[in-house]
Amino acid sequence: MKSKSVLIILLSMAILVWIVTLIFPLLDGRGGIDAPSTVKVLPKNSTENSETDQVEKLCGSMREEWRTEKEIDGVDINESSRCNPDNPWAIAAFVKGTNNVSMRTLMNTRLASDAVLKNNDKDGDGDPDEIHITLEVAELNGSSPDGDFVLPTYNIAPGIQPGLWVFAPKTRGMAMIDVFSTEAIGDLRAPSPVIRVEQGDTIKITLENTHYLPHTIHLHGVDHPYLDPKGKGNDGVPFVDGSPVLPGESKTYWIKPRQTGTMFYHCHVQTDKHLMMGLQGMFVVEENRPNNWLQTFNVGAGYVRHSSVAVKESYDQEYDLHYQSIDKELNSIVQRFNDPRLIAREMNRVYDMTDASNDYFLLNGHSFPYTLRDSIITVKPDEKIKMRIVNGQDEVLSLHTHGHKATITHYDGVKQPEANRITRDVYTLSPAQRIDLQLDTVNDGLHSYGPGVWLFHNHAEKGISTDGRGPGGDISMIVYQSFLKEDGMPMLQGSDITRFLNPEFYAGKVPIWGQSSEPELLGEPAPMIVEVLPTVALGLILGLLLGLVIWLFLIVSNSRGRKAHE
Amino acid sequence: MSRKAMTVLAFGLWWVNPIMAQESIPAQDMVIKAIPLKGVSKVRIRHRMDMDGMVMNENKDRLPFGCKEISEDVQFTVHAGRKYARKFNGKMFAYDQQEWNVKPCSRITIKFVNDDHIRHQFMIHGLLPYLYPPTGMFNIEVSGPGSKTASLIVSDQPKTHLVHCELAQHTEYGMKAQLKVAGGYGDLSSVPGITAAKTPDYYEVDWTANRLTILVGAGLLGVLVIFALQKWK
Repeated sequence: MKSKSVLIILLSMAILVWIVTLIFPLLDGRGGIDAPSTVKVLPKNSTENSETDQVEKLCGSMREEWRTEKEIDGVDINESSRCNPDNPWAIAAFVKGTNNVSMRTLMNTRLASDAVLKNNDKDGDGDPDEIHITLEVAELNGSSPDGDFVLPTYNIAPGIQPGLWVFAPKTRGMAMIDVFSTEAIGDLRAPSPVIRVEQGDTIKITLENTHYLPHTIHLHGVDHPYLDPKGKGNDGVPFVDGSPVLPGESKTYWIKPRQTGTMFYHCHVQTDKHLMMGLQGMFVVEENRPNNWLQTFNVGAGYVRHSSVAVKESYDQEYDLHYQSIDKELNSIVQRFNDPRLIAREMNRVYDMTDASNDYFLLNGHSFPYTLRDSIITVKPDEKIKMRIVNGQDEVLSLHTHGHKATITHYDGVKQPEANRITRDVYTLSPAQRIDLQLDTVNDGLHSYGPGVWLFHNHAEKGISTDGRGPGGDISMIVYQSFLKEDGMPMLQGSDITRFLNPEFYAGKVPIWGQSSEPELLGEPAPMIVEVLPTVALGLILGLLLGLVIWLFLIVSNSRGRKAHE
Repeated sequence: MSRKAMTVLAFGLWWVNPIMAQESIPAQDMVIKAIPLKGVSKVRIRHRMDMDGMVMNENKDRLPFGCKEISEDVQFTVHAGRKYARKFNGKMFAYDQQEWNVKPCSRITIKFVNDDHIRHQFMIHGLLPYLYPPTGMFNIEVSGPGSKTASLIVSDQPKTHLVHCELAQHTEYGMKAQLKVAGGYGDLSSVPGITAAKTPDYYEVDWTANRLTILVGAGLLGVLVIFALQKWK
């Protein structure tokens, strides 16, 4: 009798389980005859879209008066048509020296009065021959003990704020633009500024270590004596030629470079970390010429608005292009801790660079689309343009120019004989390597395919992504004047690029083709609707199963209890 | 992230500034509104700048509206440098003092001495914007080793002013202090030696055998107490 009812229960349970296997496919998300429809993504200007207020302005904050051609304190400053150009007053101060410009000019900058000192025309050729440069070290997007935010803020792309360390010209006043903002002032940005000096000048570079960890300056490729005139180490390698510069201390490096070229400088303390944190910049030694007043700093690299005499002799324009890569695991360490001892431990003993991979790729401190604001190359037909390129990444850079084949004139600052020069469209740079390119905009099908908007980017493909989302990374453009809009942005025939100014896009929350001409084809499929009938059936059957299990349990325990009683 | 930070900062400024609190002007509009409100037609930021640094908004004689006269002349010397952070574990830069107390309407003359070979600042926030335009800030900046002296006059209201060095991350790494007028309005966060951080660092906890024994012992004691209570009942 008992065993019979147990058998019936087990049999009905088996049948129920079999029915469940029939119902389950209706609810587990598999597409049936009809796959779910496409989610409707509203166009970005729609008022119904909650993301709208997150989309940033294409040009950011624009300063019209900074773009025009100017003469400030007798310094000629070229027009810069991009929408976020360099501060022309700062350029005047860099050219004349902060000790020689008018107070009015200096007040239009945030520079300290001893940022760049220029004195003593020793050879009487009309330009100063004793230059004293002072650099500070700034942490961008660092942590605060006063709340869950970072400061001073510097965005490399919409919504992306990695912790960064940069060398910066010595400034004055606050590190943030005003008391109501946490945004870093214009001089505090990536990359560390390009430094330009003249061959044969006596140059002193003082590192005032305003940061909380030890640092040095190593002048990679720049002709410098191993020891300075006082017999102190001058190579900036702490375990070789002297101790590093501790927080609050300063050290002066001394050079009188005999050779010219595009070089590099970086911190040599825990180089694998400190260089990757951003303590690296381009260093240019220009040929000696009479009346050669140089723009000592090119903050943020990019277009050189006051080129040297020698460059102007052979070229129409000059650009500094600094490529960097960032591993967010390394760069977030300074945001996760505030105690310098914890940062030192995490960075040097826990973080392992050999297990790391890069997440962000920067051209002149920005990723696309921010690169369009300050690092586009604007050209006219039949121009000769000099591009100085440094690879500050820890991997190979394969720079590709659309629509152009340019000629490599220099490797690591050394001029190639004419006959050896190579014209190509992918230029390979190993880490820390520099090349000088000559870009000819002659429409001959070789050097240029004619006017247009032509990309240039790293062709090692992850270099064009931002944390794996693209288009991002170091993409920028060569834009012909006839394709340049009033606001300094390129005239595009493609889709609206403002959608890349949405932080949600780089956070991976926006479908790539969700707003294309046929969004139904490639947009985001909607989730499957849970049908009522199978839901009721499944719930009912699971309930029945549970009931049967309890019943079975009661029968078994009852019979056991009776046995024990007997 | 930055919007949140701005809100926190704006709220902080609003909180430390009773003028703004009383008139409940949003911090963003303060610059525009506060100046005509006081009937001051022309505002000039006073700058004194040379190779050794600068002084912003020095004020030796202009009285705040609530003050009939200068109540007292206070003079103090403040040192800044890495060596003053030694007594605060986990900090890198600091002043030699973290708090100053003054009477309302007093004139303070500060000799700011920089003992490092880098730039440091002694910046005071939350002052009256019409005397310290445009944002109520006073600043002494010394470019390297050396000193600068400057004066300011505080208002007649009780207030805790933020004093800090505004170089990138110097406040965060210890160069933060407070100036209290008439006892002030509480303390700021993360002032070295005075208040804790709002977002603290977490360290390893060293549970030695000794401490574990004490913990277990105390636990047993608790059991015994209950047991004893039952017996006594």
